[in-house]
Amino acid sequence: MSQPGIQISDLSVEFAGGDADPVTAVSGVSQEIDAHRFVSIVGPSGCGKSTLLNVVAGLQQPTAGSIMIDGKPVTGPDRRIGLVFQEDSTLPWKTTTDNVAFGMRILGVAKRDQQRRAQEMIDLVGLQGFEQSYPAMLSGGMRQRVALARTLAQQPSVLLMDEPFAALDQQTRILLGAEVRRIWRQTKQTVLFVTHDLSEAILMSQQVWVMSYRPGRIIDVIDVDLPDDRDASVVSTPAFNELQNRIWSTLQQEAMRGFVAESTAA
Amino acid sequence: MTAASVHTRRRPRINVPAGSFLLLLLVILLWWLAAQLSFVIPTPADTVGALVSNFGDADYRRHVEATAAAVLVAFLVAGLLGVLLGLALGLSKWVRIIFEPLVVGFNGVPKIVLYPVLLPIFSLSGSKIVMGVLFGLFPILINVAAGIRDMPAVYWKLARSVNANWWQVLTQIIVPAIRRPLLTGVRLAASLSAVGVVLAEFFSTRFGLGRVVLRAYGNGNYPDMMATILLLISVAFIVSLLLWRWERKTR
Amino acid sequence: MESTVAAPVKTESPHTPTPVPGRRRKRPSTGLLSAVCTFGLLVLGCLFWHLGSALAWWSPATIPPLTEVTPALVEILGSGEFWGDAGRTGFEIAIAFVGGGAFGLLVGIGFWKAPTIGRVFEPYLVSFYAVPLVLFYPVMIVIVGINQWSVIILASIMAGIPMALNTWVGLSGLPPVYLKLARSLGCNPRQTMFEVALPAAAPFIVAGLRLAVVYALIGAVAMEFVTASAGLGFRIRYLYESFDTVEMFVYVLVVLAMSLALTFLLSVAERALLRGRAGR
Repeated sequence: MSQPGIQISDLSVEFAGGDADPVTAVSGVSQEIDAHRFVSIVGPSGCGKSTLLNVVAGLQQPTAGSIMIDGKPVTGPDRRIGLVFQEDSTLPWKTTTDNVAFGMRILGVAKRDQQRRAQEMIDLVGLQGFEQSYPAMLSGGMRQRVALARTLAQQPSVLLMDEPFAALDQQTRILLGAEVRRIWRQTKQTVLFVTHDLSEAILMSQQVWVMSYRPGRIIDVIDVDLPDDRDASVVSTPAFNELQNRIWSTLQQEAMRGFVAESTAA
Repeated sequence: MTAASVHTRRRPRINVPAGSFLLLLLVILLWWLAAQLSFVIPTPADTVGALVSNFGDADYRRHVEATAAAVLVAFLVAGLLGVLLGLALGLSKWVRIIFEPLVVGFNGVPKIVLYPVLLPIFSLSGSKIVMGVLFGLFPILINVAAGIRDMPAVYWKLARSVNANWWQVLTQIIVPAIRRPLLTGVRLAASLSAVGVVLAEFFSTRFGLGRVVLRAYGNGNYPDMMATILLLISVAFIVSLLLWRWERKTR
Repeated sequence: MESTVAAPVKTESPHTPTPVPGRRRKRPSTGLLSAVCTFGLLVLGCLFWHLGSALAWWSPATIPPLTEVTPALVEILGSGEFWGDAGRTGFEIAIAFVGGGAFGLLVGIGFWKAPTIGRVFEPYLVSFYAVPLVLFYPVMIVIVGINQWSVIILASIMAGIPMALNTWVGLSGLPPVYLKLARSLGCNPRQTMFEVALPAAAPFIVAGLRLAVVYALIGAVAMEFVTASAGLGFRIRYLYESFDTVEMFVYVLVVLAMSLALTFLLSVAERALLRGRAGR
């Protein structure tokens, strides 16, 4: 009954390091995500999480291996894929409505549909009343909602999120995280969510992949058996703690390894 | 910087200063070609020759000295006045509210048209200095004021927390904090006061290189004209370039 | 971009374009206050002028009294000669602004696409204002002949350089995420340029346009002033040389008023063009 969502096979990415030795950012990753599932990647900084995401998004060519989405290969930027960035990607010269419609405009969606769908997405992310506001008048969390609405309006089957809450404060992160989960349960995209925050990963997803420091490999895959309608209170349950301890025990070594490597390199 | 851009940013290394130098040679080559095509344009060699022989002439040196002295005085006055007014404009909200629109507006005025108005007031030798000051004043004033306004608020808190007196605040906090815009202002002031003085000399003066250019043009002595233009341009370029490099090194 | 020419200050100088962040706008109330103060200062200036003449602080040959200049102003504004000169100067400024601005925009875009070439040209562009470009006016006449095109060409260069530098700096400072967004949406090069890059760099480009207008004006008038056969700048010189101080003052005042009006209009246009952006 499960359809394939994202299939990553034998993926490796190397960077020519200028004068220095080439750097292997991702090495031999093979993973699958069934359609409509929510998966998070955690890993120490500099482990190649973002690189992996860029390759899945078709923004970067892998050195080896391939990506399939809904059973068809990804060769470049692709309208089946929606990206949410870590940085603020709202365009400051556009109102909320125009920002949300921007993706559809580029993809050539009919004008009439643009307006209707933009309004639907604005309602979905809870920005009613701010349709005519410019990003300068919105908070960081609201701008990230605009970016999310823009991505959802493109009606992608896969949603790739690259530390989308990293630039926000703690309370906003928690609230926005709950929002994203609520929306996902409604829209049911296949989600690959990159974060460096352990509890965020557990709280958000159905499965967590732990990535090693360079060369980036997936060294552990943990299923999150928490109720689907969980909320932030789940963090105080023993099940949550157990998951956290398990992931942390793997992650800790990698984080240390990365820390040592980065500080000796610098 | 994402890893993706590291990947695509690999270009063959080109030595930029060498490229800039090549560009200069190219311009000289084009000039030479133009001189071959049109006999009214002197060749680069003729021009340099005219320049060298000009410097043997005591009268010419007197013109050079007159221009240099006027530029120097104008630059110093513009710098001092610009910093003081910039401080006032940057530090006082009221000075800003009252004078800013006129300052910004006046910056966009072709100031040279004031020269005939200045002449009867400041005399022939004084007016070109005033012209140089008017040209050089604004960039320094505006940069200092904007630099102060863009200072992080925490600097003021720091100053208050250590009980700094106004002199300490000025020398230990404001000047270091605005050093980059200040240097930009100084560079532009140096350039523009020279432009102002030469422009004024172009119009009317007793001694000065602007007048030499115009006289050579009037006499149809194009090598002499180009020689003086070349002298003015080279000096202006080199001074501006040195200041620019210094400015870029300042973080 | 470590080697760009942007300095984080708001200035009218050609090499330090205005960045958007950190630029705080006054609240409208202080704006109104500013306008009132400016008007008051102008009135005070006129009053001082009138008093000085009336009490003979200076001779009428140096500064003619306001009471003579005002009627002359009215008379001159009604004369065909004035409109001829103003028309010529206006034409020169307009052509230099449009031509120089368009050229500067293209050059700026080119430098963004090929940063190495940009850096090779950078030292010369940055130092261009150190050179009294007006010096080339006689050279231009030798090449192009005595006509308005020698003025227009030099004024275009003066207008084009700040435009090129500002465009370049603005585009180089684009947040990388905008380009990533464009790429992820599969924008073609035209869409990337017109839907993302140019609008994102607009604050710098608009500041460049402002500088282009100001420098076209300064360049055109200064060159007419130094040596030309028509135009407002020429007229001032002509009247000076024929000792017609009153009329000369009128023309000087007109040029000043024109520039101030232009600066004002440009800041209004800038605000309209950049509506909704940070701090505006």
